[in-house]
Amino acid sequence: MGEPLDAQAAVAALRRSLVAALGDGAGGADAVARVCQACVQALPVDGAAISVIDGAGNRELLHASDEIIRRVESVQFTLGEGPCVDTFRARRPVLVPDLAGATAWPVFAAEMAGQPIGAIFAFPIQHGAIGIGAMDLYRRAPGWLTDDELATALGIVDLAAMALLGTQVAGGQIDAWLAPLPRHRREVHQATGMLIAEFGIPAEQALARLRLYAFSTGTLIEDVAHALTQRRLHPAELDT
Amino acid sequence: MGQSADPGMARETRLLHAFVDLADTLVDDYDIVDVLHQLVESCVDLFDATAAGLLLSDQRGGLELLASSSEQSRLLELFQLQADEGPCLDCFRTGEPVSAPDIGAESTRWPRFSAQAVDQGFLAVHAVPLRLRGQTIGALNLFATRLGPMHPQDLRVARALADTATIGILQERAIHRGEVLTEQLQAALNNRITIEQAKGVLAHAGDLDMSEAFQLLRQYGRANSTRLSEIAHRVVTGTLAPGVVINHSPVRAD
Repeated sequence: MGEPLDAQAAVAALRRSLVAALGDGAGGADAVARVCQACVQALPVDGAAISVIDGAGNRELLHASDEIIRRVESVQFTLGEGPCVDTFRARRPVLVPDLAGATAWPVFAAEMAGQPIGAIFAFPIQHGAIGIGAMDLYRRAPGWLTDDELATALGIVDLAAMALLGTQVAGGQIDAWLAPLPRHRREVHQATGMLIAEFGIPAEQALARLRLYAFSTGTLIEDVAHALTQRRLHPAELDT
Repeated sequence: MGQSADPGMARETRLLHAFVDLADTLVDDYDIVDVLHQLVESCVDLFDATAAGLLLSDQRGGLELLASSSEQSRLLELFQLQADEGPCLDCFRTGEPVSAPDIGAESTRWPRFSAQAVDQGFLAVHAVPLRLRGQTIGALNLFATRLGPMHPQDLRVARALADTATIGILQERAIHRGEVLTEQLQAALNNRITIEQAKGVLAHAGDLDMSEAFQLLRQYGRANSTRLSEIAHRVVTGTLAPGVVINHSPVRAD
């Protein structure tokens, strides 16, 4: 592990910036731009883009920091192949430190020939079974990230996930929403599942309902989750 | 080695089973969370351990509990506490096994950890690194209700099991590439969340406790030759009805 301090500082700064952006009611677009900007500033990458993708595979580009990454995104989603397409489908990062040596995407590689792209790092934006989209970074020179840079990138992806989930949440609560989930998160995930079963709603709505109930009753989300998993609180109580 | 045949044979058979079970989880399209669960269950079975857990690096500077031999919430807290202090954190940082044959004597080294461990009745604790080629990716944690060090032979077996699991985590593609480790670890961390969400769905739909829900997911995945995390994903996203998993009668392929 590298020095986590730098990574923590970069992620904390982005978190403050996102709270300000979303708290102002400026909406998701500005927040997403800030996420991409933070990547370019804190990491040795030249461009960043964020797309949201729905269950049917429809994709919407929310922000691209430059024309090169914009082209990377549009070519991949037109062709239906490439690291960013794979990262969402496989629900795992797809990290390509040397694009010239990658053989997995021949058509994409042919389309990208001549572009100044050495490396592509694609991260899914997700939370368990909640698939939100992808964050894609490129850099001109090939090469891998240091442990500290990787920690920064992962911390930024975590924030992007919560920011994109949080844009559905009423204003004034965004600070709590973007706070890292408590360490003992297991019961929060389990309680999310219980609400899915009770109401037949998607996971993202179940999580939002859980957090909303915690906010409105002045309770910590982990305490609500604990009461649910211990069967001291029935999921039906969280009907809205 | 003039050991009397019976206990030695029994021991050898159990050992063999542990490795076969672990190897079984590593065929084809295996799931890291499933592999690690198999590992902690084998450890409780093989060693004089009453509880076992496994923490992996989250690559953000922390350790995350990926598998545990029990769902008891105070025990889970004790495992996860070691992201901040305790034998697992020390083991992860040094890449070497860490042993405390008497937890009660460790109140200076790990004040919070030792107090909570003693409070739960544990007397000794051991941590074994998950390590490959100089890189430590996590730690295996064993708790005992008997004072004293781990038998050297048990320690060797524990390390061999941990090494096997580590190779399992990294072998899917070339094991020397840092980006592969990241892809694997991050997928496993997210899969852990999905599995917890799916346990919640099944627990509420079938009025089950969380460990029953987990066993059902695992059995259904094995019976259908599908990864545990894929079954969990289908349950959470509604493409696999909870009733199908709950009412499925497992066919044990022993």
